[in-house]
Amino acid sequence: MDTVVQTLVNALMQSSFVALMAVGLVLIFGVMRVINFAHGEFYMAGAYVVFWLYAQHELPFFAAVVAAMIIVGIIGLIIEQLLFKPMRENPLGGLIMSIGVLFILQVLAAVIFGVGLMKHIPPLYPGATPLFGMDGVSVPWQRLVAFGIAVVLLIGFWLFLKRTRLGWALRACAQDREAAALQGMSINKLALLAMGLGAGMAGAAGAIMAPLVRVYPYIGGPVIVTAFIVIIVGGIGSLEGAVLAAVLYTFFHTFVATYLDGTIASILGLLLMLLVLTVRPAGLLGKGEKV
Amino acid sequence: MGKKGLTRRQFTGTAAAAAGAVAASSFGAPYVAQGAEKVVKLGFLGPLTGEVAGWALPGRNACLIWADQVNAGGGIKIGDDNYMVEIVSYDNEYLADKSLIGAKKLVLEDDVKLVLMLGGTDAPAAVQFFTKQKMLSTTLLPSDLTPDTLYHLAPAEVHPLYNVTGVEWLAENRPELKTAAICAQDDELGWPSVATYLAAFEAAGIDVVYNKYFDIATTDFAPVVTAMLAENPDIVCLDTAYPDFVNLLCEQLFLQDYKGQIISCTLDFYGRIIEKTSTEFLEGLIFQFPDFDDPAMNEPHINFENPNEFFVNYNERFPDAWSAVTWEYPAIAEMWRLAAEKAGSVEPMAVFASLKEGGRGPHVFGDADWWGEELWGIDNALVGNWPVVQIQNGKATIVEYRNIIDWWNKHGELLKKHTAEQG
Repeated sequence: MDTVVQTLVNALMQSSFVALMAVGLVLIFGVMRVINFAHGEFYMAGAYVVFWLYAQHELPFFAAVVAAMIIVGIIGLIIEQLLFKPMRENPLGGLIMSIGVLFILQVLAAVIFGVGLMKHIPPLYPGATPLFGMDGVSVPWQRLVAFGIAVVLLIGFWLFLKRTRLGWALRACAQDREAAALQGMSINKLALLAMGLGAGMAGAAGAIMAPLVRVYPYIGGPVIVTAFIVIIVGGIGSLEGAVLAAVLYTFFHTFVATYLDGTIASILGLLLMLLVLTVRPAGLLGKGEKV
Repeated sequence: MGKKGLTRRQFTGTAAAAAGAVAASSFGAPYVAQGAEKVVKLGFLGPLTGEVAGWALPGRNACLIWADQVNAGGGIKIGDDNYMVEIVSYDNEYLADKSLIGAKKLVLEDDVKLVLMLGGTDAPAAVQFFTKQKMLSTTLLPSDLTPDTLYHLAPAEVHPLYNVTGVEWLAENRPELKTAAICAQDDELGWPSVATYLAAFEAAGIDVVYNKYFDIATTDFAPVVTAMLAENPDIVCLDTAYPDFVNLLCEQLFLQDYKGQIISCTLDFYGRIIEKTSTEFLEGLIFQFPDFDDPAMNEPHINFENPNEFFVNYNERFPDAWSAVTWEYPAIAEMWRLAAEKAGSVEPMAVFASLKEGGRGPHVFGDADWWGEELWGIDNALVGNWPVVQIQNGKATIVEYRNIIDWWNKHGELLKKHTAEQG
């Protein structure tokens, strides 16, 4: 019983950061129509910002997380302005640019921080607490913090999209760019906003996970694969679908990894994606290209 | 044009500079001997970057200290000549193809007389080239050895054979421990180590209740640890895993409130693990690699000059970077120096013959035998004593030296059986 509950806890904690990654990826795709392969590198950049500010320069952890969001968000803005925007009308341009950005960010991280020895990022809150007095089930404090930050960011983002004029504009642009433009909305400005928000959320995901994972220049690889599976299962373009799929996929993967093994979990995860696509080609909540 | 063109140029320039910097960094800058009339070059071919760098970079750095010490002492005495030492390194990123390129560069362009390697993934093609060139090379992983690798030696480490000493010590000193769970990374480092631990646990009468590999792309170790702890083992065995993995596995064991015995092949940068967990949590953990400031390193059978001083020097020059393998590469280099001086030549085959003379050699932890025919088909591994190390009050402490051959003579068939089963 304890093992089942511990696995549930592990999966719940993991799903929050996966959802944060996937939502940003969906937003960028929805508004800009760019399959952003560099999204994992935004996650990596967020982790390095925390390493640099929190672990090396002793800035408070939460301040480092906010800084990571802002810095990575700005990186996203620069990339949109310099690389994606000129390629707006080229269907493959953004994709190719994002692959280039992926390599450039990896190389920059390697040159700036090195790739030799593991980056040491001590957790702000070491240790764990038993879950509701169950001695066999523990909830690590640092993961709880990461979970809390991720949930707050997701709720905040959802409220922004649903309750603000800018949020409505983003959703409108994602549904139909031409119609949105005819209504006087600036596609370029909305794309800039989407890129900044999406990159910032990926940066936040990397920042909150930094004390819990290996931080190295290629950390974005496994993360982006998971994020792609999640947004495909959820329905490309659907934010609600991305969150739902993040939870379902992470629970599935964590349980299989615990009771069978991690390699089988990855294989079955891909099969699950194929199954969902066979039964529901648009994904779980995919309806056209709605955000 | 203006802004857009300039931006692209700037961006392209930045990318090119970054790519150039990376390309340049893959060719480790050679250590240049100062004021040398005659110079002998030793090659270092290993992963100086990437996730395996923890088992090569500290060793390369230690070789630089060794070279400084040798040169400061007048160099290597060959007949009437003194040779200054130069270390030429090549970062193979633990890739076989880059390793072969590096091997050719070191031998054909740099004219090195010895190549120090970590071994494993990066070894086969390079070692085949060394054999054809009659170049002396060394490994820390004797699983590289085959009847065809004639001049490839394992003179310092016999991974994973020495892991049996930790299990044997544990069984004798903590007989109440009856079950073990093993997790291992799914690669050529993990497989033979699992076979060794399985044999050692069976020989010690300890039941293995969990034994699974994890993918080396694993980022979240919580499920791995949850699965192991579900079996309620008395011992958790981390097998041979990359330094980062050991760090994260220990952290997860701590977070999931494990209070039992831990055994691991390595425990690199254990100070950082203590910082993430606690001194109490790591207390009693058994592994196989000592710090060289350990008092037991001053025992008379140790063949390493001033190990305590070396440890201090290393930590002053490369703070917080002592890893399991730091001492092994300079130990091999020193063994090579003694053999070269004895042979009166730095030429690879002359030194090779000098090293193997009499079937015994000065291993760091005591004189040992050139051995391995029974296991690898060639007697190119120097096997003898190995330390069992325990974390005591937050510090790695040698609790005993044990003889690997003694264990083999009693339980060798078990190891052969498990090695065959692991494929």
